Parts: sequence; structure tokens; C-alpha cells
Amino acid sequence: MSSPAPALAKGQRQIAVVRLADASQAVAVLSLVFGLLLVFFPVWFPARIVSSWQRGQLMPVMMAFTLVLDTYLYLRVAYLQSAKPRPLAAVCLGSLPLLVIGGLSLLLQSAVRSILSAGLPNLQGRIGEEIVAQTYLALVCAVFFPFLVIRLLQQFKAANSV
Amino acid sequence: MVGGAELKWLMWISLYVIPLVFLPWAISHAWAHQHRRQLALKPQQLFQRGELGLPSLILASSVIWNLLQSQFTPHTVALGSVILGMSGTMAVTVWVETYCRQASGSDSRPERAWRDSRSLALLVFSMAAVMEILLDRFARVVGR
Repeated sequence: MSSPAPALAKGQRQIAVVRLADASQAVAVLSLVFGLLLVFFPVWFPARIVSSWQRGQLMPVMMAFTLVLDTYLYLRVAYLQSAKPRPLAAVCLGSLPLLVIGGLSLLLQSAVRSILSAGLPNLQGRIGEEIVAQTYLALVCAVFFPFLVIRLLQQFKAANSV
Repeated sequence: MVGGAELKWLMWISLYVIPLVFLPWAISHAWAHQHRRQLALKPQQLFQRGELGLPSLILASSVIWNLLQSQFTPHTVALGSVILGMSGTMAVTVWVETYCRQASGSDSRPERAWRDSRSLALLVFSMAAVMEILLDRFARVVGR
């Protein structure tokens, strides 16, 4: 799953071949930074996330951030392999982070609604933690998922061309 | 400020890292010393077939179990479980694929298997650490 398909790598050297390991390093660093911010700023950092979400700024910022990061990672892979980016990958990278963040934003709203309807104690705290957790998961998903799709498409194409 | 509770996850993660990564490395050193053999025992040689994927999957399963026990909403539990499970599966797939390549005699590159499994293991370990921090925070909020 994470190594390049030999037929594709040999037959079409001009086109960048993505491996999941390329994206996973970036997501790991992103996770560590997120975790360290939670540990060293346990009140300020979650409060910033929650207030951004309440003002409606969180999702656009996340969309822009993941789009830039995904594009940078893909162009870096292409540069390191001295290969050219492929159009299908560009379409995936351009659309999937936005779709993932948009979809997970709806999921978060649904989660908040279910907490409010349950009438549990410490509602504000629970909602805040849910927002922080889903923000983290959405970030990971939006960076990792497009590369997973590109990788699977490359494998599918390589299997068909054999 | 950072207290003992915030760093509890670090101890929890080390319970996995020590027996699954450090212990094989230490035992192989002890074996080489006992048998007076000169062996290449750097981590990239010891885990060159992508074996780091195995502890990654175990760790991912453990965090998924903790997530299922938590009081997060089903939406968050499902999302976290899927992402962790997918990452763990990807990590273990490197090991399976390397084995298949070696067993079939096809193109096998240990350095690539090591690099891929290391990256995916780092991803799973960092995600597990963050999820444990989030679970710890949520448990404290619920307990208030």
C-alpha cells in the first residue's frame, strides 16, 4: 500500500508517484505540534479553537491550511522524484481537503446538537472538548485522505495496465 | 502549567514503545554479546521488513478500545476509530507487502520498507498520544 507500484514507476517515470509515507510524516509532525500545544497551553489553545468555531472562522482556516499543506507535500514529492505532477492528483488535492473539512463540519454540528439535546451536565465543557477533538481529527483526515485516494488510484491504474 | 495528569499519556505510550520496540533491540544486543557475533543491530536493520507496523496496529487497537469506552459522542468515536484503524492497517500493510515481495522473490527494498514503516509508525504513535490527551481531558470535564 505504501510502496510505489513497480510497473508504474518504471513505465511512467515522468509522473510523480505518491507514497503514504510522504503524507504520514507531515501528519505525524502536525499531530505532535497539536499535542504539545494541548499539553503546554491546556486552556488557551482549546479556547482559541472553540471561539474560532463559534465565530465561523475555524473551517475556512482549516480548509486553506490543509489545501496549502497537501499541495506543498505533493509538489515536494514531485520535486524529489524529478517528476511532473499529474492532473488527476491535482484535482484530488484541490477538492478532497475542502470536501473532507466540509463534511466533518456537518458531523461536528450534528455532534453538538446531540449533546445539547441530551441535557448532560457541564454542557459547555463537553461541547468544547468535542470541538477540539473533531478539529484534530478533521485536520488529520484532510491531510491524509487525499494522499490515500491518490495512492489507491495509482495502484488501480497500475493493476489495470499490467 | 504542565502537571502530572497532562503527561500521563507519555507514560502510557512508553508502555508500548518499551516492550515492542526497545526490548527486541536490547535482546538482540544481548544475544550478539552472548554468542560473540558481530551483527548489524541498528533499528533500521532490526526492523527492515516493516515490523514496526505490528506494534502500530496493536497501539491503534488499544486507543480505539479506549475511545469506545469514553463518553465522546458516537460521531467522534466513529471518526477517531476509523482514522486510527486505517492508519494502523496501513502501517501493518508495509510489513505484509515486504514479506510478500521477499517470499515471491520480486523487487524488495529493505530501506524503503524501513522508511515507510517508520513514518507510518510515527503517525500512529503521535495520533495515539494526541487521542490519549483528548480522552484524558474529556474524562476530567465529564468528572466535574
